[in-house]
Amino acid sequence: MATLAPPVSGPAMPAARQAASPRREAWQRRLPLTPALIFMIIVTQIPFVFTVIFSFQSWNLVRPHSQHWVGLENYANVFTDSAFRDALLTEIGMTALAVAISMVLGIGLAVLLDRRFPGRGVVRTLLIAPFLIMPTVAGLLWKTTMLDPVYGIVNYLLRLCGAAPVDFVNQHPMASIVTVLVWQWTPFMMLIVLAGLQSQSNEVLEAAKVDGAGAWTTFRAITVPHLRPYIELGVLLGAIYLVNTFDVIYMMTQGGPGTATTNLPYYLYQRAFLGFDVGQASALGVVTVAGTILVASVALRMLFTVFATTERRA
Amino acid sequence: MAEVRYAEASRAYPGTPPVVAVDSLELTVADGEFLVLVGPSGSGKTTALRMLAGLEEVTSGHITIGGRDVTHVPPRDRDIAMVFQSYALYPHMTVAQNMGFALKLRGMPKETIAERVTEAARLLDLEKYLDRKPKALSGGQRQRVAMGRAIVREPSVFLMDEPLSNLDAKLRVETRANIAALQSRLGTTTVYVTHDQVEAMTMGHRVAVLKDAVLQQCDTPRTLYERPTNVFVAGFIGSPAMNLYTVPVDEHGARLGDLVVPVRRDAAAGLATVTVGVRPEALCLVGADEDGFKLAVELVEELGADAYVHGRARLADEEQRVVVRVDPRDPPAIGQTVRIGVRDHGEVHLFHPDSGERLHS
Repeated sequence: MATLAPPVSGPAMPAARQAASPRREAWQRRLPLTPALIFMIIVTQIPFVFTVIFSFQSWNLVRPHSQHWVGLENYANVFTDSAFRDALLTEIGMTALAVAISMVLGIGLAVLLDRRFPGRGVVRTLLIAPFLIMPTVAGLLWKTTMLDPVYGIVNYLLRLCGAAPVDFVNQHPMASIVTVLVWQWTPFMMLIVLAGLQSQSNEVLEAAKVDGAGAWTTFRAITVPHLRPYIELGVLLGAIYLVNTFDVIYMMTQGGPGTATTNLPYYLYQRAFLGFDVGQASALGVVTVAGTILVASVALRMLFTVFATTERRA
Repeated sequence: MAEVRYAEASRAYPGTPPVVAVDSLELTVADGEFLVLVGPSGSGKTTALRMLAGLEEVTSGHITIGGRDVTHVPPRDRDIAMVFQSYALYPHMTVAQNMGFALKLRGMPKETIAERVTEAARLLDLEKYLDRKPKALSGGQRQRVAMGRAIVREPSVFLMDEPLSNLDAKLRVETRANIAALQSRLGTTTVYVTHDQVEAMTMGHRVAVLKDAVLQQCDTPRTLYERPTNVFVAGFIGSPAMNLYTVPVDEHGARLGDLVVPVRRDAAAGLATVTVGVRPEALCLVGADEDGFKLAVELVEELGADAYVHGRARLADEEQRVVVRVDPRDPPAIGQTVRIGVRDHGEVHLFHPDSGERLHS
């Protein structure tokens, strides 16, 4: 019997392995991803489910034992809340301004960097540096060393010109915040546009030259259309990140003066962690997430058409 | 319509020592002529063309178009049109916009542009594609759009930089003929760059052969083929290439193994060896009792109209590769040893063994 065993199990084993293999293979692929997936669910999905649950409750931490179900009341409040509307408008304005200005500056710098000159590598590194600084640090840096009315560099320069000192953060809060965001995001836009410029065929530019186009005409008629997908990509990615701006506002203005620089993330933070109104803040959060998903899915679809066209071109 | 002249024109790139891409090019292209610049890669042919286009600086000498010195004139004021190797079509413009771009920049009225574009499209069989973008076209169609973009401008000179190198073999032969026909119809002076000597020979009124930044010879295809000025031109022009051997020479002539090729006394005076060039079609199979050398057949290429025998022979104490054109109806077998003679002693070229220059014979 023992001698017979091997020949029997021999052919049987591979058959068994074959039957199990598609499943096994699938698990071999899933397994390394599972920890990340579980982690993602724990830190994002479970809190979100709780948030949805809280959003149907009236629950203020200041008044213990006041927690009770209120149905859609919190949501109704969101849409009648004028502070929410203001925050939304601030959010849109801030993001649009920062993205637009940093894109224009980024294109300008990229065009300058696209030509050879001694020290180009150093200049490029220096220009990228602001993007590598933590937003919190950037906010603090600008608030103190740059814009402080007493010892800030900008006011020092203004005084040299004979102008009166300006308390930028208090007198022009929106402009100050946007300046910092632009300072941080211009390098990002520059890098994307630079990649676009360097992917442009030199022969096309030469053809335009032979066809009689000057430098400006070539840029407008040939280079900008070529850069369009890159500009779209930069605007899109920039907007996705800038919509979530919190650190800079927290560091520089705390959403003020008044509500001048309160955007949605900061407003949410105020309701939840300064007002302790968990129910209302949860409803706000859910509405914001829904809105973001809506905008992001439209944006992502756009993003994929950008990739599709570059692929077709290649 | 214009005559083009390179007057000792050079292009050197700074460096130590400076890299000379085109060295004192002296060349005149007659009005309405189709001149082909040909040479191996790195010979400076494309640089020479780009100098004429104004895309490459001329570091010394002059270039004139129609008698006007354009050495330091920007490309757009030279009245030239260029067809690039990659075609360099504007990817975001339709075929019609691509072709009309130069005219639009000149501020020409829309109706005139449309008229000229339609005319050029008809000439190139592109009428159906005027509204398409370049990416929706095949390689051959893109090539024609690039041609069309040059034609609509009605320039005084066409410049073409290897415009056929991205096409497949069959289309290349077809387009070659079309371009030549189009040029003779328009009568526009054309400078055409290629690395393909067949293209050069079939298209050019005259062909300029460049090597290592220096012009070797510029003449009609026939003269280039029949009287190459040096070993390089002899070996570069013609396919399969000319057989070239450096062999001893005495009062009877040059010795190709057992075969003695008569050499005029004054031509090889004072030389112990001479470089002999014989084209495959100047050699033939001969009988055992005739003058000739033995060849071991290694390969027979049958092309239909011709057959080429590749083999090895002992010439001047060295194994040499020899190519012979034979009657395709009766080629020798591989492995066979045959006897090779010269069809006509007038078709044997003699070159100086060291300088490679043609010896007058």
